[in-house]
Amino acid sequence: MIPVVATRLLAAAGLAAMLGWGCASDIPRDTTRLTVGMRFEYPTPNELIGPATLSYGAIGNQFFLPLMAERPDFRDGPPTWAPALAADWEFSEDRLQLTVRLRQDALWSDGEPVTAEDVRFSWLAQTDANVAWDYSFSKESIADVEVIDAGTVRFHLDAALPTVLADVSTGLILPKHAWEQRPFAEWRGDPGWFFENLVTSGPFLLENRTPGQELVLSRNPNYFEDGLPRLERIILRSATDSAALTNLLLSGEVDVVSGLGATDAQRIANRPGLRLIAYPNRQFTFVSWNTRKPWFQDAQTRRALAMAIDREAMVATILHGNAEVGSSPVISSVWAHDAALEPWPHDPPAARDALAAAGWTDGDGDGILDRDGVPFRFELATFAGAPARWDAMQMIQADLRAVGIDARPRRVESGALIQRMRDKDFDAAASAFAIDTSLDLRYAFHSQSIPGGDNYAAYANPEVDRLLDSFAVRPDPSAGLEDLHRLQRILHDDQPMLVLWEPLSLAAFDVELESVAPNALSPLANLQEWAWR
Amino acid sequence: MIRFVLRRLLAAAVLFLIVLTLAFAVVALAPGDPMAPSDPRIPPEQAERLRALYGLDQPLPAQYLRWLGAVVLRWDWGQSYRTGQPVADLLFDALPPTLLLAGAALLAQYLLGIGLGLIAAFRPNSRLDLSVRVASLLVYAMPTFWVGLMAVLVLAVGLGLAPAGGMTSAAAFELGPAAAALDVLAHLWLPALVLGLSMAGDIARYTRSSLIEFQATEAGRAARARGLSETRILLVHGLAHAAPRLLQLASVSAPLLLSGAVVAEVVFAWPGLGTATLLAIQSGDIPVVLAATAYGAVLVIAASLAADLLLTRLDPRIRVE
Repeated sequence: MIPVVATRLLAAAGLAAMLGWGCASDIPRDTTRLTVGMRFEYPTPNELIGPATLSYGAIGNQFFLPLMAERPDFRDGPPTWAPALAADWEFSEDRLQLTVRLRQDALWSDGEPVTAEDVRFSWLAQTDANVAWDYSFSKESIADVEVIDAGTVRFHLDAALPTVLADVSTGLILPKHAWEQRPFAEWRGDPGWFFENLVTSGPFLLENRTPGQELVLSRNPNYFEDGLPRLERIILRSATDSAALTNLLLSGEVDVVSGLGATDAQRIANRPGLRLIAYPNRQFTFVSWNTRKPWFQDAQTRRALAMAIDREAMVATILHGNAEVGSSPVISSVWAHDAALEPWPHDPPAARDALAAAGWTDGDGDGILDRDGVPFRFELATFAGAPARWDAMQMIQADLRAVGIDARPRRVESGALIQRMRDKDFDAAASAFAIDTSLDLRYAFHSQSIPGGDNYAAYANPEVDRLLDSFAVRPDPSAGLEDLHRLQRILHDDQPMLVLWEPLSLAAFDVELESVAPNALSPLANLQEWAWR
Repeated sequence: MIRFVLRRLLAAAVLFLIVLTLAFAVVALAPGDPMAPSDPRIPPEQAERLRALYGLDQPLPAQYLRWLGAVVLRWDWGQSYRTGQPVADLLFDALPPTLLLAGAALLAQYLLGIGLGLIAAFRPNSRLDLSVRVASLLVYAMPTFWVGLMAVLVLAVGLGLAPAGGMTSAAAFELGPAAAALDVLAHLWLPALVLGLSMAGDIARYTRSSLIEFQATEAGRAARARGLSETRILLVHGLAHAAPRLLQLASVSAPLLLSGAVVAEVVFAWPGLGTATLLAIQSGDIPVVLAATAYGAVLVIAASLAADLLLTRLDPRIRVE
């Protein structure tokens, strides 16, 4: 009897739940709110102790603002900056002082004004050893931050570097009056405290948080931009998996999804009511050839590898066209890219000729090339959990096999592989870099970055070192364009790394949403301007 | 009985300690640096600073003793390397959704399994019985992630019978208690069904064979001789006969449910222990991985202990002394 009753009760509850769900999904759209699906974690609103991820930053920018914000005009020239909390700024003649005047109308959500004290407090926190902010290195050139008056602050600089505005605007301005009561040494121990003491200067407030599930943002009535944000409420829903996010979008439970994989984007393309946007990001995926290994010591062999590998096929099949074949680590969506550089073509006969010219022949007739008794057989590693890269490894293996090279793909846990690459304890490995618009590529190609650093290929070229050093200290980056082009040509010829592709970021939106403009800096860029038609 | 319970608790504590030690050793000896910066522009000194903050610059035995002491004495699992949150808080948030999902899945698997087993046992070797046996083997063989994906695509995205993911609807904190409970139920039934389905086949087969076996026993024949209906014989006496074995299955299915929950939680965007564990593994968040392993061990040990204790109550043939 009991099982029967239990079954009936459960069936009734299930039916009620289903009916409830059915009714809920028939409710007309509430045009004051938007539901966004993202893969994110938001354990604290304090970015100095939070995870350094793009999605985390995208949310943080809804609560707090920097002094200046980088404009998304990456193709047009060196970075330019739009006022955010700063009204304007000026350099001293020797460019060793930067004076910033704050907006008079900028208020915290509790009604307190945003002041120069907040700016100094933020800098102190950003550079405090106990806070241990990941990006504290961006403040190394700032010797002091002086409060001139409530609305004016002066940055004293150690050197007149071209990256000063980028350095000053890296990091958000934090509320001194709300957070100074907590000593810096205790910040990392209690990230949740900042939720309880959250006041914001950005377009939104935090209305509610359900850990692991959602954040509910509501309009900040003290935000200084008239009429913004246009939506009253943003609900950010989290899922671990891109396919799960896609399902939420297809079932109408979220209106926007960012960070889609190429396969999931295929499911959304051409769906009525949805719009797929592909936009450049700042990443490129590459294979590093360890030049300390016998197979990769000469540039001719590395160029032959570039010609043996069919990158167009990878982009078409693995990424469904949502990427471009790369020709340079200075990616095509930034101003300094040398458009005259063409990716090495897929040309297996030319690759075979180049390999023969470099001394690689099949001396023992086993189908694998060899040189000086060393067979062309190596391990091609990539991170576990990167399916597109793993698929690419299979295609590279087949392409190289066709020219007599035995590449053996292997998946390695990401931390372990990075360490091995830094220690130069690998043969060849696929990875990805995200560049910033400072275009300082010393970390990847300078010979000083070989020991324990991210010059994985152990590539050393004095001319490259000179070009990188001179560009890094040029006051006007645009004057260094010739140098950057020369650098790209050298790297293109030397091929210490083969740029496989520049992926596009993929996001899908309800077609009724307007003013949506995601960019490489944030999928939620200009969120305050989004609205329903 | 008390001595039995104490002995089992002691054994469980020793087992827990072994699990903790093995988990720590495996994670500590694995290659890779959890503090390695993901952004190459971040200088190596930052990693050094973080290592010092998290005590990773200490020798391994010292790290182990400090960690074990904090866990055993204060149930302090340290801080997540990824988010900075206290791990105990993070898992405290993640555990209830997993227990809810696993509990509902357990219920679903027993209701389905016993129901199907009963149907099959009523008409042994009939077409219906054959269908149930084939179906139970099929669901047992199908991987949870595949069943889950298909269920979402067909039932949620295609037919709109269930939400496609999550534990609640958007902004569900505004709902009243009854509506909120209904909302959770609407989100729960499909993942619970999917998760429960694989073991339901096993339970159906056990139920069927136990009931058929019971009918051939003296007790079964006596019940029939007393003129009891077939339904009563199977539902009351047959199920009582099968109960100990079915209960034993519960302790077997606990680890399967937990491992299945990892998959189901990802497919259904369910915010539980599985999701937290997967994120931690992907990002090298060692304290969370260790704590999630230990929580899993505690749940499995507790389920096994509970099943053993219940078994001694249900089956008088089992002597606890």
